[in-house]
Amino acid sequence: MPELRLSMTAEARTVLTDLLKLIAPAAARVSVNRAQIPDNDLEIAGFWTENLSAHATEEARLLAHAFIQAKGDPAIIILRDEAQACAFLRALSAVRFALRDLVFADISDDRLEDPSDLDDDESLPTEKRHALACYACFGLLQQSLVRQLDPEAFD
Amino acid sequence: MAKPKTKLENKPQTVVAPAPKWNVVVLNDPINYQGYVVIAFVSVLRITSPEAKKLMRTIHQNGRTTVWTGERERAEMLALELQQWHLNALLEKDA
Repeated sequence: MPELRLSMTAEARTVLTDLLKLIAPAAARVSVNRAQIPDNDLEIAGFWTENLSAHATEEARLLAHAFIQAKGDPAIIILRDEAQACAFLRALSAVRFALRDLVFADISDDRLEDPSDLDDDESLPTEKRHALACYACFGLLQQSLVRQLDPEAFD
Repeated sequence: MAKPKTKLENKPQTVVAPAPKWNVVVLNDPINYQGYVVIAFVSVLRITSPEAKKLMRTIHQNGRTTVWTGERERAEMLALELQQWHLNALLEKDA
């Protein structure tokens, strides 16, 4: 498979990179907290916790690095192969989960499914609306990447 | 001449029960996109994209489905890999 590309405006890259600096370190912790780790075997539970934490930490690092490296306008992220694209996808998912758990815990799943409605909700603090816009952007990047990996995945 | 002693040996019979099967179950979640779940299933379960879509639709409609059944070690490995994809995967002993 040839390299995969994601492009965004330079402004979007700056905003998303700034948010990632805040949320990425928490993403690994959220991943482990959400995981359904078998608790009837201490050895297995320990292995799973360590494995999930290491995986999520490494992928958060990959994500942060990719955004920092994306230069120009539009800023382009290049993923060299399918394995790297999948790691990037997983990292985006972890960040969305972290935002969901840490920033939007008071917003219902139904309302989060269409964040564009929330953009106009002036009862929400500006920071939360800002994070919602980023959450939607991370989702768009995921969808773009999924379509490049499997054009029929959403059909 | 003494009769040879015939000793009946009561060997305990060992009944080997088949190892229980384990299910890898995936629950619906509101964060991951359907296309993302399809990619995850293709990557982890080594199934085709149409098979992955079928599983994904069942989860979307019923809230959960069993994506794999078999021996425990493999089930644990698959559940762990699905969790690395941030899917709500869990293990259940097959009834």
